[in-house]
Amino acid sequence: MHTPFNWLLLLSLFQQMSVFLVIAYLFSKTPLFAPVVNVSLRLPHKVVIYFVFSAFCILGTYFGQPVFDAIANTRAVGAVLGGLFGGPVVGTLVGLTGGLHRYSLGGFTDLACAISTTAEGLLAGMVHFWFHKVRQSPKALYSPALALVVTFTAELLQMSIILLVAKPFEQALGLVNLIAAPMLFANSIGAALFMAMIRDRQSIYDKFSSTYSAKALNLASRMVGLFKPGFSTEQARKMADIILEETGVSAVAITDRENVLAFTGMGDDHHYTGEKISAQITLDAIAENRVMFADGIETPYTCSHSEDCPLGSALVIPLRSADEVIGTVKLYESKRRLFLNINHTLGEGIARILEELILVGRYQQQKQLLTESELKLVRAQINPHFLFNALNTISAVIKQDADRARELTGDLARFLRTNLKQNQDVTTLAQELELTNSYLQIEQARFAEQLQVNVNIDEKWLDYRLPSFTIQPIVENAIKHGTSQQLEAGKLSIYIEERSPFPALIIEDNAGLYQCKEPEADGTFRLSEDGLGINIVCTRLKNMFGKNARLSIECDKNESTRVIIPLTEAVC
Amino acid sequence: MLNAIIVDDEPLARQELRDQLEQAGNFSIQAEFSNAIDCLKEIRKLNADVLFVDIHMPKITGLEMVNMLDEQERPHIVFVTAYDEYAIQAFEDNAFDYLLKPIEPERLQKTLTRLNQAVSRKTNQNIPAQPLTLIPCYQQNKVRLVQLSDVNYAFSDLTGVHIGTQAGEYHTQLTLSVLEEKTELVRCHRQHLVHPQAISEIELLDNGSANLLTKSGKSLPVSRRYLKELKALFGI
Repeated sequence: MHTPFNWLLLLSLFQQMSVFLVIAYLFSKTPLFAPVVNVSLRLPHKVVIYFVFSAFCILGTYFGQPVFDAIANTRAVGAVLGGLFGGPVVGTLVGLTGGLHRYSLGGFTDLACAISTTAEGLLAGMVHFWFHKVRQSPKALYSPALALVVTFTAELLQMSIILLVAKPFEQALGLVNLIAAPMLFANSIGAALFMAMIRDRQSIYDKFSSTYSAKALNLASRMVGLFKPGFSTEQARKMADIILEETGVSAVAITDRENVLAFTGMGDDHHYTGEKISAQITLDAIAENRVMFADGIETPYTCSHSEDCPLGSALVIPLRSADEVIGTVKLYESKRRLFLNINHTLGEGIARILEELILVGRYQQQKQLLTESELKLVRAQINPHFLFNALNTISAVIKQDADRARELTGDLARFLRTNLKQNQDVTTLAQELELTNSYLQIEQARFAEQLQVNVNIDEKWLDYRLPSFTIQPIVENAIKHGTSQQLEAGKLSIYIEERSPFPALIIEDNAGLYQCKEPEADGTFRLSEDGLGINIVCTRLKNMFGKNARLSIECDKNESTRVIIPLTEAVC
Repeated sequence: MLNAIIVDDEPLARQELRDQLEQAGNFSIQAEFSNAIDCLKEIRKLNADVLFVDIHMPKITGLEMVNMLDEQERPHIVFVTAYDEYAIQAFEDNAFDYLLKPIEPERLQKTLTRLNQAVSRKTNQNIPAQPLTLIPCYQQNKVRLVQLSDVNYAFSDLTGVHIGTQAGEYHTQLTLSVLEEKTELVRCHRQHLVHPQAISEIELLDNGSANLLTKSGKSLPVSRRYLKELKALFGI
């Protein structure tokens, strides 16, 4: 028995499918759609999928075209997609729900349809399982071609079940002859279209967010590299160029509180860098400390320079530092273009980054200042006592030995000169020893045989690094609080010991008067006011060479005190 | 002619001062010491008129050393210091004489004039007593600085003044009157001092005197004259 192809039935099924897709499209705009877009194993998501696709199943039955006491329908799409998205259990349940509903409507194919719909759901669910668990590639499920093939197969399965189950067989055969081709076509294509819609939504969402994340990250990284403390015109110019390039707006300006530091993009023939801010909107943003937006529609942006200005909208974002507005970033869009929302958000983000950078810049400046004041502090430590003693010593020597006095004056001059001109944070062992030597010359003259100094350092160590003004304060301490406090002759040795991880410079005296204490948690020693010098050395060592570079003190009571300073290899 | 002693730990400073004193005339430098302990050991034999003392010296400072000298035998004191605002403040408060290094000849001259007057008038400088914390002692040839809190008793005999600690007895150059005045030790006998907290028992004798036993087991005599005060101290 041959039946001609039923075009009308096919058309009707496509009609149903169109209604389906419209509903699906509307539904895709709701948050309920999220579990469908992403493969999820969580129970609530599975429940959502079950309900959504069961509803599609039932709708498919209702929209169906009655044919010979049966229904040509699009129910299969719901069951197959439910299975593909939800897995075997959800798929079977969706199919069962749709099938039971169909069964309740009666007709000679009721049982066959109920069984076949459940089987379709299970089949699609098995496909889901295979991709998800066996192939480990859930993304492959979102393929329209796959939906097409699975639905096609499922419909073939349905037709077979109708032929097997529905009685009488003659009638079933007639029905299948009539509906098989239209339903195979319509359902397969419908499922594929549905899948295509979901995939598009998924990829648009991904692309959109990744494009803009990339843009923002790119902007941020380019700006970070550029920024140095201060707010120079040149930096502002570079910054504006980067923002223009990355956001694609028509023009960008950066101002401080009074002047335009940079303007780049459309309209730069009459907006000049360096002039006073004239736009009211900018002045308002600075005065009120808030973001101002002239969208060009409700609030028109009017250029304060020229009536022919092509710019039609502007966003002004204040830059704040410590709650005070220090400038603005302005984004402009031409009259012919709409100011994109995304650029609004991006603009505010840029302003936050700039604020952070300004903050970092200030921090670095302060750190620099701190280093300088530390150096000053170390220098200030040496001045009065030593100078007095040195002058007294020289004054006493002059009468007895003019040449010796001249040498000592030279030593004092050398010591003071190094002390004054040394501006580096880090110096070499050679330079440190030179400074210490000038100092020791004077102290030895002062204490004569009461102070014996022995410096024994191999040449290979001379290029090693340490913070400037490290050795001399410690030697001074060793004399002041060590050797000069004992009755017998003081002995001072300076030498190197190869220790790990750093070679150690050791300053040892034979007084052993240091009160042995463990260093505090921050690596410094709790000392009297006189110990300030040592603590500055501790802190600077740690700041420069890391917390392993600790100064340590070993003390053998009344026998010896050893101050150990780690050295760092020269960086060439 | 005034007899002078110089105490300073810096050899150049001693030499400088000696040169200046010799130039100024009217001085004979009896001795020089490089620290307070050596000076304390010898000073009573020297009978000097004036002592030039540096402040900063090892172990015992110039101020501490002067405080250890018996007021009756103490020469005139001139402090010499390089740079010490606190010390200078202390001298000015107490009207001590002091010289700042490097010593200006005019300033030294003023000091010398004042010294000559004081020595001829036999006036004594009034130096307020400071409590001692360390007592320099000698045991054979060793110097030992005994913490005052370790001292249980002190006594004098023909060989000099001795102090007794838990660890043993030491010889010191300080006099009993300095120890009595500047420490917590109390007199229990003309030749004996005792730390009240070191006493473990007092045995009263028929003749009105007593014997006391220290915690370290040393027996000390208590004369009638001092028993009353000792009793009053303990509220007996």
